[in-house]
Amino acid sequence: MAATAALATAVRNRRPAFLAFRRAVLRKPSRIVGFAIIVFFTLMGICGPWFYGTLAVDPNAIYAPPSADHWLGTDFAGSDVFQEVVVGARYVLSTAALAALFTSFFGITVGLVAGYHRGFVDSALMRVTDFVLTIPGLPLLIILSTVWSFGSPWQMGLVLGLTGWGGVARAVRSQALSLRERGFLEAARGLGLPSRHIIVKELLPNIAPYVAMHLLLSVIGFIGAEVGLFFLGLVPFSSTNWGVMLNQAVFSGGAMNSPDALVYLLAPLVCILLLTLGIVLFLDAVDELFNPRLRERA
Amino acid sequence: MSEVQVRGLTVEYQTSAGWLPAVAGASLDLRAGEITGLVGESGSGKSTLALSLLNAVPAPGRIAAGSIEVAGVGDVVRLTGRQLRKVRGGELGYVFQASQNSLNPLKTIGKQLLDLGRSHEVSDLRALIARAKDLANRMGLDGDRVLDSYQHELSGGMRQRVGIVFALVLNAKVLILDEPTTALDMLSQASVLDIVRKVHDENQLSTLIITHDIGAISEIADRLAVMYGGRIVEDGPLLDVLRRPTHPYTKALIGATARITGDVDAARPLPGRPPDLTTVARVGCVFRERCPFAVAACADTEPPLEAWEAGRRRACHVEPSTVLAGQPGTPAAVGEPA
Amino acid sequence: MIEARGITRTYQTHGQFTGTRTVHALRGVDFTLPEGGAVSFIGESGCGKTTLGKILTGLETFDGGELVVDGVELSALKPRQRAKYFRRIQMIHQDPYSALNPTRTIEATLGDPLRMRAREKGGTGAGPGAWRERACELLTLVGLEPEAVLPKYPHQLSGGQRQRVVIARALTVDPQVLIADEAVSMIDVSMRLGILGLLRDLRSRLGISLVFITHDVATARYVGDGGELHVIYRGEVVERGLTDDVILSPVHPYTQCLLSAVPIMRGLEEPGPDRTAPTRALDERTDTPGCLFEPRCPFATDECFTTHPTLVPLGGDGAGVGAGEAEGVGAAEHQHACLNPAARRVVGVEVGAGAAGP
Repeated sequence: MAATAALATAVRNRRPAFLAFRRAVLRKPSRIVGFAIIVFFTLMGICGPWFYGTLAVDPNAIYAPPSADHWLGTDFAGSDVFQEVVVGARYVLSTAALAALFTSFFGITVGLVAGYHRGFVDSALMRVTDFVLTIPGLPLLIILSTVWSFGSPWQMGLVLGLTGWGGVARAVRSQALSLRERGFLEAARGLGLPSRHIIVKELLPNIAPYVAMHLLLSVIGFIGAEVGLFFLGLVPFSSTNWGVMLNQAVFSGGAMNSPDALVYLLAPLVCILLLTLGIVLFLDAVDELFNPRLRERA
Repeated sequence: MSEVQVRGLTVEYQTSAGWLPAVAGASLDLRAGEITGLVGESGSGKSTLALSLLNAVPAPGRIAAGSIEVAGVGDVVRLTGRQLRKVRGGELGYVFQASQNSLNPLKTIGKQLLDLGRSHEVSDLRALIARAKDLANRMGLDGDRVLDSYQHELSGGMRQRVGIVFALVLNAKVLILDEPTTALDMLSQASVLDIVRKVHDENQLSTLIITHDIGAISEIADRLAVMYGGRIVEDGPLLDVLRRPTHPYTKALIGATARITGDVDAARPLPGRPPDLTTVARVGCVFRERCPFAVAACADTEPPLEAWEAGRRRACHVEPSTVLAGQPGTPAAVGEPA
Repeated sequence: MIEARGITRTYQTHGQFTGTRTVHALRGVDFTLPEGGAVSFIGESGCGKTTLGKILTGLETFDGGELVVDGVELSALKPRQRAKYFRRIQMIHQDPYSALNPTRTIEATLGDPLRMRAREKGGTGAGPGAWRERACELLTLVGLEPEAVLPKYPHQLSGGQRQRVVIARALTVDPQVLIADEAVSMIDVSMRLGILGLLRDLRSRLGISLVFITHDVATARYVGDGGELHVIYRGEVVERGLTDDVILSPVHPYTQCLLSAVPIMRGLEEPGPDRTAPTRALDERTDTPGCLFEPRCPFATDECFTTHPTLVPLGGDGAGVGAGEAEGVGAAEHQHACLNPAARRVVGVEVGAGAAGP
């Protein structure tokens, strides 16, 4: 034990955030793969629609098998599946990212404030949280779809985010409660530092790895949720995205019975699986990114 | 007769700077029926030494050289797998540093005891429980109550005693206690020390106590070994070492202990800070930077641990008489430089 | 500087089966801490000494008695107004490993309170670099090299160094009192004297008063010269007086048990002839109309079971308590709360003939 402590005291000065990030990612091959996958899909989401502004529709080739012209074949309308996957990534990813941001923002804020202040503030915020936790997300989305078209990622992200932050808030609160009794927080209060400072500068960095992990994992969850909604056809199809593709492949293309539409079905599925894999592989690095002690382990 | 003989033990840890020794060429005997105290500051390698007695150095560490002969078992360093597991707990009882926290909070003490028995393939679990109760009772605990308790229902001193019960219930002949009194208050410390002595005598054990508190150990140990920077720098019969410390470090350590008698102003804090794996001197004496007696030879030759009197060994270039006579002065570097 | 009058603190605990139970953490503790003075509290774990430290730093409230800081009675103030007074009293935590934020460098840890302090003080010399200068000054004061320590994270420092950083952080707000709650118990024995010496130094150099809370009587000797020692048992002070008086001639059996428990450095010291120990372990649940220590006391009589002793001057006629405590006067009276006080030689005796070093 004494020796392991000694190991960690390998003295090294503070490194800029970028270097720390690079070191953490490069430490294990799995993290490199995970990070590469995430970057790949992010680029796809950002740049995809620039390449294929309008989908090439080839009415003469419906359900064509993969070929040099159509790498992943075509769909029921003769659209190129590869182009659809690329273009559809933006909606899926931006929705998931926005939803994750909303959840994190509300969850962390509510959790930290409740956990730090305790007492009345805590009770009030936790009642609100309980209320949010009980909102059934799926039916709400169905009802809202009669009003909104969910054509914009903002709308979908907002709804998913607003119904999803309850769990984060509870988790962050319990972390904050346990950190609250730690010596350095007592000291900060004793020194008379303002609450805002204590919450943002002392508490937040200590729950950051936890929050970041939750954020990444919730991205997976939100992708599943929105794709599922489109797949089931519960919200109107308003844009090209992976969920719509799945729905079309199964319900129009008959991918379940005919091999023609198989590639059409598999393309978005594999994308979702790959992205999930990338995130899971990368999660491993998150702890190290935020913990200065782990950052230094050789 | 020695129950455990450690010879030339070197334990290394992998760091960014390569494999560095946490324990370097340590030789130590645990004599039958004696309590040996191993004293050192944090980072001195004392816990690593104790763990290697079980051949349980945690990764990224390894035993690089040396042998540990345990009477009736052979060289522990060579054991693997099942044999090794049998020896741990069976022959060598170990009470962990954080034994206050080393119990499973979700199981009663009795259930954990049964787990221990099963993993060591004890056929008569009833006898095991009976022995545990007996041990607990002799340590001033209520055996029945303790076995039915969860960890949180016991106080720090009681948990420490439960740790000793676990270490001894399989009839271990060697008891190793890592920092048994750290985090206990004075009254609990006194009673735990008292109990260790009693259990040691009753079961005719060979006991090794690892500690940073030379005051606490001096209360019960028979022999004292002092460790610094991965080396054993002095050892011998406890009373003799305390009366006549011949290594400058031992002398400084005794002088730096807060005591209830004696002149308050006579106590001198140890200057500098203890070295760790990465900062310990590679050449020469590991203590020279904090040593008030250092001479030229200390910078380039590491003094070997050698007998200088019957039963006493030391690793120092300076004559024993000089250290004994000298005032514990302060070397150039005062304070605690980083 | 600080005057505590009969501070009490009780907690209600709700056991699953036992119903509501009242735990007395503190039962009327009073003491006076003069400027630059020192008061030590010793007792075993669970005796209420940590609660006392928290009350003195405002992290915990008290439900009886009065706390006077700089002549102001705090119970009359609103919580917000109290904060100003509590800021003058800073705590040194027991565990230097949890007392520093692991995600922040020492520079950030010291910088925030220093900048806040600079803003409050207003324009005078509050340049952007001024706080850094002050941080270096404080680190030097506590015996660290500023340039080496500032950019580091807590885990890169040894226990002793961390505790020095904790002390430096407490000094950033120019406190008048430091509360050291077991400040050295988690630090290597070899480093303890250095920290204790630093605390003593702060007393003499900056005139900072010190409340030293510990279970280790020996360490109290090193910081509390000229100060008072209070022996606290289950929230009640059972013996008090000048540090050396209490240590050298304890009369309360509990004090004697505590002092007996201090390890003897055999070879250099011999155990006192009357060494004693409590007859059983602490059980906070026992309620007794008599002396709280009676169930564990090796010298208890029938009277102890029925009569609750209060603090009386040693050898006096029991004329009452507190009357002799003129403020700021060093010579505190030796008082005890025992019905049958007896001097016993429990402390180790140095072996003569110069064996104990210089």
